[in-house]
Amino acid sequence: MNNQTEKPGKGAAYMQGIIVLVVLAVLTGAEYGLAVAIPGLSMVLIAIALVKAGIVLYFFMHIMRVIREEGGH
Amino acid sequence: MSVEAAHSSYQFKLSNNRLGLWLFILSDSFVFGGLMVARIYLLGDKRPELDQLLGLIVTSVLLVSSFFMNRAETAIAHGDRRNFIVSTIITAVLGISFLVGVVGVEWRTAQFGPSKDVVGAVFYMMTGMHAFHVLSGVLFLIIVLRNGLRGHYSAEKHWAVEACANYWHFVDVVWIFFYPALYLIGIPAK
Repeated sequence: MNNQTEKPGKGAAYMQGIIVLVVLAVLTGAEYGLAVAIPGLSMVLIAIALVKAGIVLYFFMHIMRVIREEGGH
Repeated sequence: MSVEAAHSSYQFKLSNNRLGLWLFILSDSFVFGGLMVARIYLLGDKRPELDQLLGLIVTSVLLVSSFFMNRAETAIAHGDRRNFIVSTIITAVLGISFLVGVVGVEWRTAQFGPSKDVVGAVFYMMTGMHAFHVLSGVLFLIIVLRNGLRGHYSAEKHWAVEACANYWHFVDVVWIFFYPALYLIGIPAK
């Protein structure tokens, strides 16, 4: 068993990953739906892509770790 | 703690490694930024005529692979080795599926080649450069998996897993911009 090495918040960390995935999936669906339904919305599609990239950078890539030097192993 | 001891500590090396990795990601992003500029400048409001459903599927596959990569990193950070191994394998399989979708299917079914016109040149250059990064990411994942199976990583020390995860997410971020640029924005070129 590896309970001794487990940090608190493992379940919360897994749940955060699921929430981020759902948000990214919804945004991707919205991106596709908008492009098909209303052609010519280039700026909206770019804005959605920027939001998606920001979410991945913040929650998956933990960009704040390099700025704050937090989250040591 | 002496200066020498502080500089040889794992925490010190970790923060240096992180900075180095982010500088690499920043430099690599200029390559993709250049490709995006080429797409906008050369194609304008035109885009390649591509299979929309396939584009949505490969994009979803890459997004889900990022989720499993994050899950693998979270697992090893909490000492959950089994979940780390399973999630790493799923990430690699999804990465290979993405490559099959883009290079194996999209490239074969596209109605144009790289030398047909500027649309073809831009499309194959963008997807080719990205696919090369996905391929190197899959190789990185296989190395991490092999070392993980040998028990090289722990909750306290798993820098290679973090580096692999960040590289993989970077490849995903690039596709987040390439997908609308190639599949959604503009009118299909005949």
